Amino acid sequence: MTEAIEYLQFVLAPQMLNGLTIGVAVVLVALGLSIIFGLLDVVNMAHGEFYALGAFISMSLYSLGVSFWLALVLVPLIVMPIGFLIERGLIQRVYQQDQRHVLTLLLTVGLSIIMEDAFDLIYGPNTMRPENPLPGSTELLGVIVPNYRLFLLAVGVATIVATWLLIYRTRLGAMIRAAAFDKHMTASLGVPVLRVYAGTFAFGVALAGFAGVLLAPIYSVFPTMGHDFVLLAFTAVIVGGIGSFYGAVLAGLLLAQIQAISSLYISPHWSDPLLFAIMVAVLVVRPQGLFNWMGRS
Amino acid sequence: MRPANPAVSAAAPARARRRLSVQHLVIAFPVLSLIFAGIGAALGETFYLRLATEALILAGLAISVDILLGYTGLLSLGQALYFGLGAYTAAFLLGQGAVGFWGALLASLALATPVALLAGLVAIRSKGVYFILITFGLAQVAAKTVYNTRELGGSDGLVGVPVLQADFGLFQVDLGSPVAFFLLMLALIMGLYVGLNYLMHTPFGRTLVAIRSNEHRVRFLGFDPWRYKLAAYVVAANVAALCGALYPMLRGFVSPELLYFKMSADAVITVILGGVGTLIGPIYGSVALVGLRTVLGSWTEHYHMIIGALFMLAVIFMPRGFAGLFDRDEGEPAQDGGERT
Repeated sequence: MTEAIEYLQFVLAPQMLNGLTIGVAVVLVALGLSIIFGLLDVVNMAHGEFYALGAFISMSLYSLGVSFWLALVLVPLIVMPIGFLIERGLIQRVYQQDQRHVLTLLLTVGLSIIMEDAFDLIYGPNTMRPENPLPGSTELLGVIVPNYRLFLLAVGVATIVATWLLIYRTRLGAMIRAAAFDKHMTASLGVPVLRVYAGTFAFGVALAGFAGVLLAPIYSVFPTMGHDFVLLAFTAVIVGGIGSFYGAVLAGLLLAQIQAISSLYISPHWSDPLLFAIMVAVLVVRPQGLFNWMGRS
Repeated sequence: MRPANPAVSAAAPARARRRLSVQHLVIAFPVLSLIFAGIGAALGETFYLRLATEALILAGLAISVDILLGYTGLLSLGQALYFGLGAYTAAFLLGQGAVGFWGALLASLALATPVALLAGLVAIRSKGVYFILITFGLAQVAAKTVYNTRELGGSDGLVGVPVLQADFGLFQVDLGSPVAFFLLMLALIMGLYVGLNYLMHTPFGRTLVAIRSNEHRVRFLGFDPWRYKLAAYVVAANVAALCGALYPMLRGFVSPELLYFKMSADAVITVILGGVGTLIGPIYGSVALVGLRTVLGSWTEHYHMIIGALFMLAVIFMPRGFAGLFDRDEGEPAQDGGERT
């Protein structure tokens, strides 16, 4: 009995907490992907690079003497106009064509190639790691938790809730949902649909950039940092149901938890194949995603 | 994104004129290549001949993407999976000395077919974006698994593939000779082009094109699109695996990079730049891209940015690619009259 409790306290609980913090970060990235797909029908293959962009901009800000706390606010504000311009200047150009799924996806693939190479050019290929702004740890119910992870958890959850409020409880959110539902009708009601599109894209990538700043002290910063993370986020979006808010949240938390707990028993090398197998199984059984009860047309 | 599409072309005279110009491209390629090989042989060149051979091998991967994207309407972002599968199978077996030239090719096809059948069963069941993301994820997972498998050389890959003699019965080709390998590869890629071009004009190929244009109507006509798509997927996988198997014979090694997203993305870039749905376009595209990469690479190591920018410009302004410039009568793709919502 004591062994079981000790196992729970020293092995399982910290691992699950790790999984929870990673899960919250995955949800931030996945939410952006899901919102962008749900509204614009665009699969943003460059989403991982926007996550990296956030982290790199924060590194530049630190070297200018900006504190972590200010960077946390500034980075999304910097990434957002970049996303806005990219959407208006590039992605909106191929909307009207009938193969826009493929075309927008190809555009974002090109964008990801350019961005990754630009990071390498500007910041170099080496791994950087910002200082942990909240060192030390706290004991919670007998489990020792690094302070920064607690902070990440709190900020992440707050951001997810704020995003939910924005989309489901504000006038702006109503415009976004209306534009996703029927853009011609929405446009005829006086909503600037194209600007809403660009704004939504900007908001989605800003979320990814925000996650980049938050995770940089844990995972460090390097040009290809977006790759691994975005695959997990894509998996979460697919498992949860593309375009579903709750789906992305639940699936992100669930998958990160599965990854964290499974790594206790199997080599972490196999956690990617495991998650992928789960995704494939979900697609075979429920192609619309586990949590997408409403189902998008 | 409208490919040259003989099946739906209406006006017969226009078709004759158009065919003529694409045919020029088809004839020009081997002629220019033979001239290039002749000059290379006369000068005793090695580097550029081997590079050109590599371009032809990568052209095979691009053709494999084109079968799916240009003829069936399926975008695969993980075609490098089959290229890598072929390359690793060949390298592994050749390294053990277990097989010769033909054995290696056959083994990679024999492995690619069941893998593609299995992956295709899952991927094609899922439509649209899901197909793209599954092919993407599958290749990523496979690349990571190979990277972490010590038996396959891990991050170093497999080295020490011997130089082969390809036995054609009447004559032998020494793959150690750059000219001979180049000519062999040229014959193979042109053979692939002719064979696949023929296949795409059979009822099977026409059905694929019909699926790309309107899957619903194909279903109403009594065809099962699913089977045709799966067949196209398996054919494409085999083309990629075959060319992949030739890679270690040329370079003497394989590494996990062959399965990475960059390989798959490069193949898609090649197809878009060369001309989607033409089969000959990707061959030109591959030569152009390998050439561009070498030229730019000698100036800067950050040439990906330039290629990425070119690719994005092509997607926006010239979605029918280089070979599309030669299809005069389909210059204005038919619009659906507003988009569907």
